[in-house]
Amino acid sequence: MSTINFAAREINFKIVYYGPGMSGKTTNLKWVFQQIPQNRKGEMVSLATEDERTLFFDFLPVDLGEVKGFKTRFHLYTVPGQVFYNASRKLILRGVDGIVFVADSAPNRLRANAESMRNLRENLAEYGIKLEDIPIVLQANKRDTPDALPVEMIQAVIDPERRFPIFEAVATTGMGVFETLKAVSREVLSRVASS
Amino acid sequence: MVEPAVALFGEAYERAARVLEELLRESGARYTLLLDRKGFVLVHKEALWAPKPPALDSLATLIAGNAAATQALARMLGEPRFNELLHQGSAHGLYVEEVGELALLVVIFDSSAPVGRVKLYGKRAAQVLESITQEAVVNPGTLGIDSEYRDGANALLDELFGN
Repeated sequence: MSTINFAAREINFKIVYYGPGMSGKTTNLKWVFQQIPQNRKGEMVSLATEDERTLFFDFLPVDLGEVKGFKTRFHLYTVPGQVFYNASRKLILRGVDGIVFVADSAPNRLRANAESMRNLRENLAEYGIKLEDIPIVLQANKRDTPDALPVEMIQAVIDPERRFPIFEAVATTGMGVFETLKAVSREVLSRVASS
Repeated sequence: MVEPAVALFGEAYERAARVLEELLRESGARYTLLLDRKGFVLVHKEALWAPKPPALDSLATLIAGNAAATQALARMLGEPRFNELLHQGSAHGLYVEEVGELALLVVIFDSSAPVGRVKLYGKRAAQVLESITQEAVVNPGTLGIDSEYRDGANALLDELFGN
């Protein structure tokens, strides 16, 4: 749940980028970090292996500005996508306010997308949360892959009931990155305002 | 969300701030912080003589991640918890003590502060802070974020990320 610090007049939200290994979660964060003005971001922290695979998490604080006298801040996290880092993934989900699920559009990653979504459901369940309890936005990343699967096919696998909005993206060029982040942020704000 | 939030303000915030100030004075540490388990800073205090601290957001996030990983390790080893976390380098040290289920007390000190003193006063402070944070637990539904706030924040999202 969001944290309000009345003394510092701050409201903080936690957004987690989830998805299979190498789907582009860290690339999303790097794009956000590169593009937003200096005065609207904090340090980006990456706990990665030497070959730049996320080991624990990446973290980027983004300052939205002041609303009704409260500084509003989004803390963006990525989880390590590789299957064997599940213990770390679970920890990062604690207190999450919104999730971006970054799927890989390559045909040979379809199964990894499905397994990662199942893993998200299981890990949320350990905190007593169902998928529908939390704002989730899907991102079909790597749309520039020559044999990229149709978005409908990816969605049919990770969200057969079409409950969540889906955005196409090429995170390396920034296409769809801000749109995805904006969508999940809006949903998070709507959710807390109506709770 | 199911997890309760700690909302420190007013008198509870002042009390927590006083505990941290006292801890700074007694232990001789540089900085003290009270964090929630998600890695957000609830209160922090710096010694007057201390240099500017590193980015608190990053610090808090890494400490909360570290503490969460340590708890997971404890459970894997059959321990309900490891109560404290201590890192010591040649010039600086970091001490983390659990404050109940929802918060963490962090003490950052240098070689002028004996670690025994940091731990002794840290443990005492954590006990007092635990009762303060327990009183400050609120139902997320009562945090007072209304539709006016949402609309204002949405306008800022458009400004930052484009329409």
